[in-house]
Amino acid sequence: MAELTLDHITKVYDDDGSDIVAVDDVSIDIADGEFLVLVGPSGCGKSTTLRMIAGLETASSGDIRLGGDVVTGRPPRDRDIAMVFQSYALYPHMTVRQNMSFGLEESTDMSDGEIDSVVTDTAEMLSIAALLDRKPGELSGGQQQRVALGRAIVRDPKVFLMDEPLSNLDAKLRSQMRTELQRLQEDLGVTTVYVTHDQTEAMTMGDRIAILNDGELQQVATPLEAYHQPANLFVAGFIGEPSMNFFEMEAREDRLSGDQFDYPISQETREAVGDATNVTLGIRPEDVQLVEEGSGEHDFGTVVDVVEPMGNENNVYLSFETDGAAEFVATIDGMRSLDAGQPVVARIPEDAIHLFDTDTGETLKNRSLAELEETEPRF
Amino acid sequence: MLESLFRRLVTRGSGEESDPSGDDVRTDGGTVTKTATESTGGSQRSWRESEFVRSLPFWLPPALLMGLFVYGAIGWNAVISLTEWEGFGSPDYGNLDFSMYARMLADPTFVAAARNTVVLLVAFTVVSLVVGLLVAILVDRGIRFENTLRTVYLLPMSLSFVVTAIFWAWMYNPEFGLINVVLRGVGLGFLANDWISDPSTKLAAVIFALMWQFSGYCMVVYLAGLRAIPSDQFEAARIDGASTLRMYWRVIIPQLRASTMSAAVVLMVFALKAFDFLYVMFGDTPGPSTDILATMMFREAFSSSNWAYGAAIATVLFGLALVVIGPYLYVQYQRGDL
Repeated sequence: MAELTLDHITKVYDDDGSDIVAVDDVSIDIADGEFLVLVGPSGCGKSTTLRMIAGLETASSGDIRLGGDVVTGRPPRDRDIAMVFQSYALYPHMTVRQNMSFGLEESTDMSDGEIDSVVTDTAEMLSIAALLDRKPGELSGGQQQRVALGRAIVRDPKVFLMDEPLSNLDAKLRSQMRTELQRLQEDLGVTTVYVTHDQTEAMTMGDRIAILNDGELQQVATPLEAYHQPANLFVAGFIGEPSMNFFEMEAREDRLSGDQFDYPISQETREAVGDATNVTLGIRPEDVQLVEEGSGEHDFGTVVDVVEPMGNENNVYLSFETDGAAEFVATIDGMRSLDAGQPVVARIPEDAIHLFDTDTGETLKNRSLAELEETEPRF
Repeated sequence: MLESLFRRLVTRGSGEESDPSGDDVRTDGGTVTKTATESTGGSQRSWRESEFVRSLPFWLPPALLMGLFVYGAIGWNAVISLTEWEGFGSPDYGNLDFSMYARMLADPTFVAAARNTVVLLVAFTVVSLVVGLLVAILVDRGIRFENTLRTVYLLPMSLSFVVTAIFWAWMYNPEFGLINVVLRGVGLGFLANDWISDPSTKLAAVIFALMWQFSGYCMVVYLAGLRAIPSDQFEAARIDGASTLRMYWRVIIPQLRASTMSAAVVLMVFALKAFDFLYVMFGDTPGPSTDILATMMFREAFSSSNWAYGAAIATVLFGLALVVIGPYLYVQYQRGDL
């Protein structure tokens, strides 16, 4: 167990003379026992980052420190890490027991008896003891997943590296394994770096999440911070499902002016906007209130385009014009029914809006914090 | 095994799905309706419409031709081996016995040829597989000019054995052969040898030349096998702490079993009939240290006119070929590929 530090690591690929920057100057401090999720869209460099920690790729520059030791130049075997692959990468010609023993046989001086007892204990913990003498080909996807986890756990490494380990499972098994994986990590207390493109996994599993885009680190924060206080436009749009509504506006004296509507702003908001002229207004779907009749200055007449019933809630796609394409989404209570074509008034409360500089993507103003304290009670 | 194979062939041919287990399932994935099955039984018209009869024109002519010219010839050869046919004239089929096979066991030439055949078979196969595997692993490690090298290694395979034999006869020439010239050139003249006349190096020289020609083929087979192994197998082994050598030995090579099997069968069958190579190099009398069953068969039958004896040797060779292919076919059958 140890803390893991990524110190300005960069990975540049040479593609026929032109350089491709896969990971650009990423620095993250991961505490001992922390569960950090690296999340981002495909090609954002999250897997490359993980592979650099593993030693499967060499960093072009920067240092990786594990428990104080610089491990940057070392081969994987000298790093005291274990990795779970997306495809599990179980050795098809070996039994489950051999698969799990292999790493210990190759990297430690443990006797066969010791290895066997560690493997058996771990298999029992993962409830795969009955499968020890089978080969991977005879196992279901979920069982293979457990074996892959077991293979990493027996090594008792300083860091677990997981590369989208749940993405080959069906939805139900995935959510089950999500919980189990979290529980396991908590029990074992091993520092874990987990790569996923699925923001649900990122939100639910991570102690902290690191959001990457185009090889650049966007934000490292707890899931709720990333959700309520995104550092920039990208994070705001990436975290949350359905994603945040954005409107491109122009900052005027006392309002934001857009193609569809003008949004009056208070003095406080005006100060947050500062010199920025092109501003993006963001509002989470659940913060858009649908009311019968508009009276306030933040109420806008809209028409329901499509309703997506989810059971517990409805996603309502709204348009400012009749027959127009949906421009934004509101999430309302599942018991409230609306019909397509029905006119409704959308209220966009000022204390719930996020403002971003359209040109730089930087956050100008996040939703008010007072409310956040209430939504994140500490027991 | 044969019984179930036969039953499978019959059910496939007759169109009447008589498989007792499970539902009637057609090969296209649909099921045969009960009424259709019932209507095929019995009457004259349905007999003529059965799949078996209707498919006859397609498979019967080639089957007859194959049967006559391949299996018929093999059978005829086996019958001749039971006669005493020698010299001119025709065989006497009235008096069949195993005397030719008894003669073989007492014939030191045959024993030497059989031993050489086995040595050639095993050594050539093993050496070619090992060299092919090593080259394949090197080529697979993302080296430069990979495609060029692959072609270079495979090229000998495209040469006729006659060309290879003449080429290697020149390489091995004691006076001006490249091997001895190079050895003398670098001051290792004492190692120079009359490679293909010295009985102690003769067979090894032949095996080396054959390996030169066939290791490229093994490389291609292994390369295909290596490419089929996902890269995360290599990575998982490295993460697990295995050195490169151990990774190949414990993780990668065991997964190449299918490649090894198919390459080995091809090599062994070829080794059994390496006749043309030896014939071009040495004529029909390679001498006791290099004589193999194929050259001996040719010599007995076509040079000495010991037709029956030659046929008996041919039958033994055929048996050896079956021994080589048998396990392969059995594995294929068990996997359901046959």
